[in-house]
Amino acid sequence: MTVFTDVICPFCGCLCDDLEITVEGNKIVRTRNACAISASKYMHHEENRIDGPTVDGKAVGIHEAVDAAAEILASARRPLIYGLSSTECGAVAEAVELAELVGGVVDNTSSVCHGPTILALQAVGESKCTLGEVKNRADLVVFWGCNPAEAHIRHLIRYSGMPRGLFVPEGRKGRYIVAVDVRETRMGRVADLFLKIEPNGDFELLSAIRAAVRGHKIRAETVSGVPRQQIEGLAERMKGAKMGVIFFGLGLTQSDGRHMNIDAAVGLVADLNHHTKFVLTPMRGHYNVAGANTVTAWQTGYPYAVDFSRGYPRYNPGEYTSVDLLARGEADAAVVVASDPAAHFPADAARHLGRIPVVTLDQKVSMTALMSKVVIPVATAGIEAEGTAYRMDGVPIRLRKVIEPHEGVLPDAEVLQMIMYRVRELKEGA
Amino acid sequence: MEQIEVVLVSGRTADQGAGLEVGKTSTSYFESVAVVELSADDADALGLGDGDPVEVATPHGSVVVRSRRSGGLDRGVSFFPYGPWANRVFGSYTGGTGMPSFKGVRATIRPAEGQAVPTLMDLVEALRGGR
Repeated sequence: MTVFTDVICPFCGCLCDDLEITVEGNKIVRTRNACAISASKYMHHEENRIDGPTVDGKAVGIHEAVDAAAEILASARRPLIYGLSSTECGAVAEAVELAELVGGVVDNTSSVCHGPTILALQAVGESKCTLGEVKNRADLVVFWGCNPAEAHIRHLIRYSGMPRGLFVPEGRKGRYIVAVDVRETRMGRVADLFLKIEPNGDFELLSAIRAAVRGHKIRAETVSGVPRQQIEGLAERMKGAKMGVIFFGLGLTQSDGRHMNIDAAVGLVADLNHHTKFVLTPMRGHYNVAGANTVTAWQTGYPYAVDFSRGYPRYNPGEYTSVDLLARGEADAAVVVASDPAAHFPADAARHLGRIPVVTLDQKVSMTALMSKVVIPVATAGIEAEGTAYRMDGVPIRLRKVIEPHEGVLPDAEVLQMIMYRVRELKEGA
Repeated sequence: MEQIEVVLVSGRTADQGAGLEVGKTSTSYFESVAVVELSADDADALGLGDGDPVEVATPHGSVVVRSRRSGGLDRGVSFFPYGPWANRVFGSYTGGTGMPSFKGVRATIRPAEGQAVPTLMDLVEALRGGR
């Protein structure tokens, strides 16, 4: 029996780094400090796995599957390479190289999570800090359009709510927590102040708080369903904080206004910095979606939605983003790494995956795998393979390996390298 | 009431997250995402018992799922966990941002007594068949 300590959880953008994983005979038998989702990931790790490589549903060897994948890519005119947020940075780098090699589009799941956040931050900048600073300094914490009690379960325990910090020695008692959401979730019940906002009313409410912070009188009795007194009270409390932080989720990016909601939040934070220290941080969902953006940005100059069809990288969300590319029926082949777009894209876009040859690299049977021409099982980063991932605040952390992968099962990066090697051979032979 | 109009919001739940880590083909995943949450008032207006099937429809599509009452929702707001069932009703228009509307979408909900909730394989077949 081996007990691994300080294991990094590869589920959400919190990248909790204090897990204890007990392994007996290459089998995970116990977890400590893991949240419900993390425990499920470790304890059910062996269930519903992809048994072996397949082409057209028939079991084949890895080399045959790689050959089939390479043939699809070498003959494709507009291949899409998508996913990448639930794998390690080395695999992201290989995926970018593959996109360049085949003149394709490389996109990651941020296009359907915090893509609009990136659009806004590229336009107006951001005021940010690490989660360690939040823990040690923040006495006002706002959760806007996010529900960490369900999606980032230990965020409050480790970083933003409960911990005693250097300048917040009372822990939870020393912090005023605000939740803004369209429904009262567990997060709303934990907060000191819960503002129930009308759906699609975020931009207006952010603008109203901003006006109050600037000293303007709000004439409306309510804004987006929130009474004027609460807006003015929150503005005063924000100005009076020693250090404040706004954590925001897909409630801002997936509703009306998209990137303009984030623009308004950044504007509010900028205004508050005339009074006190204030920052904002997106609640990144997949554990390495921040890494997928970072690696893609340092290799191509752009964080997602990158097109290599002219041989050099071009960036245009709305055009090269996966949902648009599929909904227009433009992609003629796809490689999906560590993601399930068939399940998570609107059916209008997902059904195009049924019309084109898809190559899927994943651990478990997914809806996309069930629709794929080529399926290659891979080792799980953070459980069966090492690698680097970026936490939601941009801190890179090295993932640990706690068990050996099944025989012959390789990490994403190695499978992508094999596919590229074969694509080069095919291109040189042509 | 035959049907109600709601604003649909999708999102993650801990059960959905834990279910997908068991596996997309698992029962726990199916149970965690093939469900739509309504306020008690809306469920009463439709005469729904907990777990009764409903049809959720938008101009983009429709799907039958189980219904569940949720105390945190106002009348007229409905919550659909992320997943392939929810994605039957969301459209792919992104307004040039890459992001479809997954939250704040107008939909109708009506009882679907006797109708079966599609399985994951039913949804795979639907996509494959161009539906």
